Amino acid sequence: MIIKGGVVYDPANGVLGEEMDICIDAGAVAEAAGGPTIDARGMLVLPGGVDAHSHIAGPKLNAGRIMRPDDGRIGTEPRRGLCRPCTGYTVPNSSAIGYRYARMGYTTVFEAATPIIESRHTHEELEAIPILDKGALTLFGSNWTVMECVGEKDLPKLSAYVAWGLRASRGYGVKIVNPGGGEAWGFGSNVKGLHDPVPEFNVTPAEIIHELARANERLCLPHSIHLHFNNLGKPGNYSTAIETLDLLKDIVPSRDRQAVHVTHMQFSAYGGTGWRDFESKAPEIADYYNKNDHATMDMGQIIFGSATTMTADGPLEYANARLLHQKWSNHDIELEESSGVVPLVYIRGSPVNAVQWAIGLELALLTEDPWKVLLTTDNPNGGPFVKYPEVIALLMSHKRREEEMAKLPELLSKRSVIGSIERELGWGEIAVMTRAAPAHVLGLKEKGHLGVGADGDVSIYEIDPREVDPGSDPALVERAFTQAKYTIKAGEVVSRDGEIAGIPQGRTFWTDANVPEEDMARLMASLKEKFEKYYSIQMSNYMVQEAYLSRPVAVRAGVEVAQ
Amino acid sequence: MRTITLRPLASHLVPIEAEGLTPDGLAKLSIEEMEALDLWLGNRRTRLCELFAIEVDGKPAPIEETTVILDGDFSRVKRIGERMSGGMIQSLGDLGMHAGAGMSGGNILIKGSAGDWLGREMRGGSIEVEGDAGNYVGSGYRGERCGMRGGSILVRGNAGVFLGEHICGGSIHVSGNAGDYPGAANGGGTISIGGDTHLPGAEMTKGSISVGGRTTVLPGFQFQDEVELEGLTYQRYVGDLVENGKGELLLALAQQSA
Repeated sequence: MIIKGGVVYDPANGVLGEEMDICIDAGAVAEAAGGPTIDARGMLVLPGGVDAHSHIAGPKLNAGRIMRPDDGRIGTEPRRGLCRPCTGYTVPNSSAIGYRYARMGYTTVFEAATPIIESRHTHEELEAIPILDKGALTLFGSNWTVMECVGEKDLPKLSAYVAWGLRASRGYGVKIVNPGGGEAWGFGSNVKGLHDPVPEFNVTPAEIIHELARANERLCLPHSIHLHFNNLGKPGNYSTAIETLDLLKDIVPSRDRQAVHVTHMQFSAYGGTGWRDFESKAPEIADYYNKNDHATMDMGQIIFGSATTMTADGPLEYANARLLHQKWSNHDIELEESSGVVPLVYIRGSPVNAVQWAIGLELALLTEDPWKVLLTTDNPNGGPFVKYPEVIALLMSHKRREEEMAKLPELLSKRSVIGSIERELGWGEIAVMTRAAPAHVLGLKEKGHLGVGADGDVSIYEIDPREVDPGSDPALVERAFTQAKYTIKAGEVVSRDGEIAGIPQGRTFWTDANVPEEDMARLMASLKEKFEKYYSIQMSNYMVQEAYLSRPVAVRAGVEVAQ
Repeated sequence: MRTITLRPLASHLVPIEAEGLTPDGLAKLSIEEMEALDLWLGNRRTRLCELFAIEVDGKPAPIEETTVILDGDFSRVKRIGERMSGGMIQSLGDLGMHAGAGMSGGNILIKGSAGDWLGREMRGGSIEVEGDAGNYVGSGYRGERCGMRGGSILVRGNAGVFLGEHICGGSIHVSGNAGDYPGAANGGGTISIGGDTHLPGAEMTKGSISVGGRTTVLPGFQFQDEVELEGLTYQRYVGDLVENGKGELLLALAQQSA
C-alpha cells in the first residue's frame, strides 16, 4: 500500500509537516511497496494512535456495565455491515471499544490494570475487542507476596515474583495503585501517606514503590513502573505526588525511557485542605517536570458529562460513593488488591469539577516537553475515550478554552491559572502526545512512528494542517479527529469515513522476563504455601495459558537481558 | 388541523416497536411516506402499512395541530409517543408499554388501559388514562437515577407497583389504588393516590406523596403534625430518614380508621 502526498507528522523521526509518501509492505512501513494507493493530498497523516492508559477489559468493566444499564442504552448502534451491535457510552461493549477507537484513528490501546487472578477474564475481553493491538498492565502494589519480599528486603525474590506475575497474567508491565492502600482497605482503612505502614505488613508505600521500581529495572522491563499515587483524589495531595517523585530520583532506567510513569496526574495535583478551598497545584507539578527528567505522566483530563470511575483504589471509590451518594461496587481480590466502581457526572456548575477540568489542561500546557505528557482521560474515569478530539481542540486553541471557561463558575480564576495560559499546542506536539510519546513510554519500538520497519499503522485525517489554523478554528480540528478519513492497521484499511472496513484480530503484547532459577525456586516454595493456605483456586489453575491469546507477542526481558 | 387514524389490520401476540408513532414523526409526512415507515414486529423489520390501516384527514400541519388516533387494540404496541414534543395522541383502546416515554410536550389520552412504564422519564406534557396503568408509571428506566422530571400523569383507575420510582419533578395522580412502593426514591415529584397502597416513599429524599386510602408507613418516617388540605385532615410525616430525606408523606386521617 502507498499513501500518497499526505502532510506527514512523525515527530519520533523528526518529520513535522512534510509532504511525503508512506509505503506499507507486509504490515510494516517499508522503503517501497506495491498494491493499492491512497490519495492523501491535503490531508494530515499521523502514525496510528496509541493509548497507554485506558480501562477497556476485565471484571471491573463488567461491574460497570452491570450497574449502569442506563449507560448501556446510550450509544446503541444496531448490527451493520461488518459491525456487531454496539452499546454504551462510558462502559461500551467490547466490539464498540474496538470500532470507536479505530474510527478516531487509534490502533493500539493498553488496559491499565488487571489483578493476576482476574487476568484470564481480562484476556477474554481483550480478545473480543476487534482491530486494536492490546496489552494489559498487571497490578502489584498491594500484593501479599510483593509486600513480604519488600519486608524481607529480598530484591531477587521480588524480581522473580514480578517476572512470574507477568507470565501468570500475560501482563506487559508493573502497575502500582495506591500501594498498600488496597490491602489496608481489607481492614476498612487506608494508608495516609508514603511512610504510613500497611496494617499487618511491616512495610510502607514508599518501600513498595521503590523496591518495585528497582525490580522493574533489574528485569529490564520494556515499560517503567506505572504508578497511581497514594492519596489520589484528595485535596492537598500534590505534596504526596512530589514526595513520591523525589523518592524515585535514584532509580536508573535499564532502557532508554523514564524511571516512572505517573498515571492520570490530574487526580494527584490538588491543593487546599478540603473541597471548600480546593485549588489547582498543576503549576507546581509541571514545574517539577520541567526541572526533572526521570518521570512522565498522562493527563487524566476530565470531560463534563457522564463518567464511570473504576480503579483498584478501593478506599477512594468508597469515598466517592459516600461523597456523591452514588451506586457503589466494591471488590476484594484475595491476596492481591481491592477495587471499586462508582458512576459519576462531572458538572460545569460545580467549582470542584471546573478546577479538575482546568488542572488536566494546565498539566499539558505548562509542561514544556510534550514527550512527558500523554493525552488521556483515564477512560472512563475522567470521561469516555471518544472525547479525545475535544481534549485535542482544547489544547490547540486558547479561544476554545475561553469559550468553555465562560460556562464555568467564576471561582475558577481564583483556584487555577488556566485563564492566563496562552500556549496553543501545534500539530507536532499533538502527534507526540497521542502517538510518539505513549509508544516510547510503553517501550513499544514499532509503534508511534512511521520509520522503516515500524508497524503499518497510520491514521489519515481530512484536514490540511498547512491551511487550517487550529487556534481560530478548533471546531474543524475536533471534527477531523473525531472521524479519521482512513485508519490503517498493519497495512489494512480498518476504518474509512467512520465506516468500519476491516476487522482484523489485533495482537496482545506481554512481557516474558527471565530470572535465575534459584530465585524462582525460592519464590515457588512460598507461593505454594499461599495457594494451599489462602487462595480460593489452585496454583495449576491460576496461570493464563498461551491458548487464551490468539496472537501473542512476547517481549523479551529479564535479568539476563539486563546483563 | 390534521388527524391521522391508525387501525390494526390483525391482532399480534408478538410485540411491535413503534417509537415513530408520534405527532412529531407523522405531522409532516404524506400518506405514502407514512406507509413506508419502518416498524419492528418482534425481530422482523416491516412497514407501517403492513400492520395498520392508515386514514389521514387534512394536509401536513405543524406538530401542535396534529392528532394521532389509535382505534383498536394497541396493547402489544410499544413506545407510542416516545419523545413527542407536541400535538395529541388519542387511544380509543389499550396502549402498550413505554407509552409517552421521555415526552416533553403534547397530550396523550388513553380511553382504555396503559401498559408498564407509562410516561417514564417524561419531561413535560400530559398523559391521561381512563382505565388502569401498569407498573413503573412515570419512573426511571433500569439504572436511571432520575425518572419523570416534569409534566403530569392522571390515572383514573388503578396503577401497578413502583409508581413514580425515582421521580424528580412533575406530578402523578392515581384515583384508584396503587401497588407496592409508590414514590420509591422520590427526588422531588408530587404523587397523590386516592385509594390504598403499600409502603409509600421508600428512600425518598424530596417531593411529596399523599394517600387517601389505607396504607402502611415505613419506619423511616417521622410524624410531624396534622394538616388540612382540600377539606380533609392529613397526618404529615417526613422521611425517608434512612436517606436523611426531607420528603413529605401525607396520609388522609378519615380513611385511616376505616
